[in-house]
Amino acid sequence: MRKPKFTFLTFSVYVFLFLIAASWYFVVGVEKASLIELFSRENLQYAGKFFKGLVGVGEEKIAFLSKDSWSEAIKLTVETLQMSIMAIGFSTVVMFLTVLPAARNVADGTLTLSKKWYSFLLFGLIRISYIFSRAIPELVWAMIVIFIFKPGILPGAIALALHNFGILGKLCAEVIEDTDSRPIRNLASAGAGRMQILLYGVLPSVLPQFLTYILYRWEVIMRTTIVVGFVGAGGLGQQFKLSMSFFHYTEITLLLVCYIVLVLIADFLSERSRYFVK
Amino acid sequence: MLSFDLHKRKLLTVFLLLIFIWSLLGIHWGPELFHTGGMATAGQVFAAMLQPDFSAEIVALGIESSWITLAYATAGMSLALILALLFGILGSGVLASGKRSRTFMKGTFRGILGFMRAIHELVWALFFVASFGLSPFAAVFALAIPYGGILGRIFADMLNDVPDEPIEALRASGASRLQCLLYGYLPAVKASMISYSMYRFECAVRSSAIMSFVGLGGLGYQIQLSLNDLNYHEVWSFMYFLIVLVVLIDGWSTMLRKRISI
Repeated sequence: MRKPKFTFLTFSVYVFLFLIAASWYFVVGVEKASLIELFSRENLQYAGKFFKGLVGVGEEKIAFLSKDSWSEAIKLTVETLQMSIMAIGFSTVVMFLTVLPAARNVADGTLTLSKKWYSFLLFGLIRISYIFSRAIPELVWAMIVIFIFKPGILPGAIALALHNFGILGKLCAEVIEDTDSRPIRNLASAGAGRMQILLYGVLPSVLPQFLTYILYRWEVIMRTTIVVGFVGAGGLGQQFKLSMSFFHYTEITLLLVCYIVLVLIADFLSERSRYFVK
Repeated sequence: MLSFDLHKRKLLTVFLLLIFIWSLLGIHWGPELFHTGGMATAGQVFAAMLQPDFSAEIVALGIESSWITLAYATAGMSLALILALLFGILGSGVLASGKRSRTFMKGTFRGILGFMRAIHELVWALFFVASFGLSPFAAVFALAIPYGGILGRIFADMLNDVPDEPIEALRASGASRLQCLLYGYLPAVKASMISYSMYRFECAVRSSAIMSFVGLGGLGYQIQLSLNDLNYHEVWSFMYFLIVLVVLIDGWSTMLRKRISI
């Protein structure tokens, strides 16, 4: 029995080494990227100019010293915060609506003791929708959503929610699959309906774990808000992209500072509350 | 699991709901949220989803861009692993001898790791492109830095969670700090390190796809071009390439993780 395990692992290692070698060969050999060229005098000059611009050397208007730009940046920061909360809210709602039929032990009826003809169909459909939503990055969702909605924080939140509900759904369905099935089966055999099973059986035992995942995803969403902003979905990212195009380098610094503060706050809060839930 | 009581939990639920409602108030709800004809566009986009364009030309382009995406992701990830191992081991403080030097090392290197991962990879990519131009190295470095930060922090946490007893046994038999690391800490965390890196590899492929948004080639670039042409059929065919790529890597990593954990 030891042999197959050994071969699959070694096979994976070889594939990995091959992939790494091939990709570096591709980057260096085929695409003709060279490190020496990267650090040519011209490039260093550009880089120097860029970083000097960031700290405000030789700029006429220094954004992080003016009061107006600060108040503008803080307004954008609040918007970004709202966008991230909205996004995690939407994806949580959708996740709660779909997570029960998406768990394998619900679909095959071992958890609820009732098996309907459509439960496997539902299971498959929801799992496919999870894979779809998970595999497409939020930026691509945002590019599509922005065709439908006008620029603002709503399309950003929808794009982020579209990507994250698949991840949340998968993680939470796994939690339900791992949960202790005895109390829930008891409820089901006492005649509880679908909603009652969810409220009194599943939720109490999985909620702490769900909360951990939701907070973890919120932290990640916070970090990606800036990215969906790039395509015009509002918040700090949109302004960041605009400042980048107008070469207003000091504004970039200001926005980055706000963004990093937001990310660090989200990090801290989610760490704290994870501790609290434990 | 249920260490905090029902009362607290209800409070927390109400609180979270209130925050969500506050966030919803930030929008002026109304029909002006949509573009005129936005719904028709939505219909076209979703109709195109069922009939992607799989002509020979598009398939060839799709395979080529999938390879570019995978290559950038792998190259970035291999660099990120080196960074993560280096900073993770230093940041866990297992190599430090005294108590004060340990706190110092932990503080410095964890700070560096925090900074690396606080900035999103696309922002790093924008910076690198702004200063170096459109070189593939911009994509590789932009991936390597934030992923190095994330992996490094997790590696450091894993190293800190290693139980003390085996390490003390090694120390008692006269092993140096380095030997403790090589024969005590690393073997203990090897399996979880590999499985976490595999999980991150899948994320790196997705990130590498969107990296092309700043002009570096790959699947995301093609998606963007087709979107600008309003050719939704092509958009979806590239999307399907991306989905297949991600699902393949996901399947591989699940298989590998199952084997390792046994």
